[in-house]
Amino acid sequence: MKKFLFICLALVCLSVNAFSQAKKPIIMVVPSDLWCNQNGYMQEIDENGDISKFPDYKKALQENADLLLVISKINELMAERGFPLKNLESALKSLEITEAETSLYTSHNGSMIKESPIDRLKRSAKADIWMQLTWTINTVGPKRSITYNLQGLDAYTGLQIAGASGTGAPSFSAELPVLLEEAVLQHMDNFNYQLQNYFNGLFENGREVSIMIRAWDSLEYGLESEFDGMELTEIIENWISDNTVGGRYNLTDATENFMSFEQVMIPLFNEKERAIDARAWLRGLQKHLRDQYGVDSKLATRGLGFAQLIVGEK
Amino acid sequence: MKKTSLLLIIATLLSFTFEASAKKKNKQDLATTQWEYEIEPAIGQARQGSCIVKVWSYAKNVELASKQAAKNAVHGILFKGYGASTDGSRIPAQHPLVPDLQTELDNKAYFDEFFKDGGPYMRYVSLINNGIPNPNDLIKISKKLYKVGIVVTVRKDDLRKELENAGIIKALNAGF
Repeated sequence: MKKFLFICLALVCLSVNAFSQAKKPIIMVVPSDLWCNQNGYMQEIDENGDISKFPDYKKALQENADLLLVISKINELMAERGFPLKNLESALKSLEITEAETSLYTSHNGSMIKESPIDRLKRSAKADIWMQLTWTINTVGPKRSITYNLQGLDAYTGLQIAGASGTGAPSFSAELPVLLEEAVLQHMDNFNYQLQNYFNGLFENGREVSIMIRAWDSLEYGLESEFDGMELTEIIENWISDNTVGGRYNLTDATENFMSFEQVMIPLFNEKERAIDARAWLRGLQKHLRDQYGVDSKLATRGLGFAQLIVGEK
Repeated sequence: MKKTSLLLIIATLLSFTFEASAKKKNKQDLATTQWEYEIEPAIGQARQGSCIVKVWSYAKNVELASKQAAKNAVHGILFKGYGASTDGSRIPAQHPLVPDLQTELDNKAYFDEFFKDGGPYMRYVSLINNGIPNPNDLIKISKKLYKVGIVVTVRKDDLRKELENAGIIKALNAGF
């Protein structure tokens, strides 16, 4: 009997531990658009005459050894701090493999894997926090120095949550990789100090996410449709206010077709002590609308910090 | 009888010497905890995870100041951090490893043990040039006070890990 009780107690402790870990953000280092543009690693896409430029990470990684060195150094230092990063090159390779496999899979009956245009669009290298890297080489006579800039950007709110920048000491003789390595080593601790502060804030005030509410065109009056004498906009805003940490959110834009919420502070754990993200949190609103007002909706997500609810039908 | 008296006198003198030395040491330790030192980045090649700093300590003589430099350096990296270099070497500022001052007070027993003479702090610091100051870094402030600059290497990454393992500071991945 004692043994049984002990095992039960151990299992309870284990489950509490397992659920008390917040969802770990994925962090990835990428060269900035500015760096890619300055070094000729851009690809141009012609969209009905409009030329759009996008960074060509694959080309940059295949051709620029310095970039690989800097990314590798940052990854190494972050792994030492117990926070291994997602590697950009591996993420790009994995995407290519997934794409090839998806196009080749067929069932015994000849069916292909079901994939919508949105699914294809979402198949890109993803991270919750981007570590955006820029460096420039300054030359004064025979002396060279490096101006280094590392920005930690929240993928959903666009906020810069950490940063480290500065210009190193000029050198007559040091090679570029040495100057770059020196810059990474000198600035990493300050970057991590700010990242740590951001994480501390996350545990104290909840996760800051962005939420978008839209309406299917089948919903006659859109988000202005009334249920139990209240407009959907009001019902939604009330629910968000009741379920955010300290009722903190910002309704940045609203029409009868959409509501855009930013700086929405959601708790890291639900009432069952399970770690949640924007999608899991917004599922509460989806259930609330269905159970209380009989309104169906479709839930879509992008990583830990962005979720979208399209109201009116599934 | 004479021999016994002589031995007694020697013992008394020795105890006074030890007491005086201990008092001086305690005074130096008090100076460390009261931030009576300065820390700044120094130029040099440190291995990855380490930093080179120059610590300015105040003491009655050069020897005492040199002895206290290692302790001050570790204390500085833990609780004070340092500003960016001003000598053109462009070394960026560093935040302290323990940013919250309350942490030191909350863990007084741990830090007393850590900073005792010959304590664990010694594992994370090495004196450059055997702790002998550069002649330019030896400043006589008054008749009984010297300001001495000693360059030391502090293994700050290992120091951070020690504090993380002891539960004094949070690791970057804590809670995830």
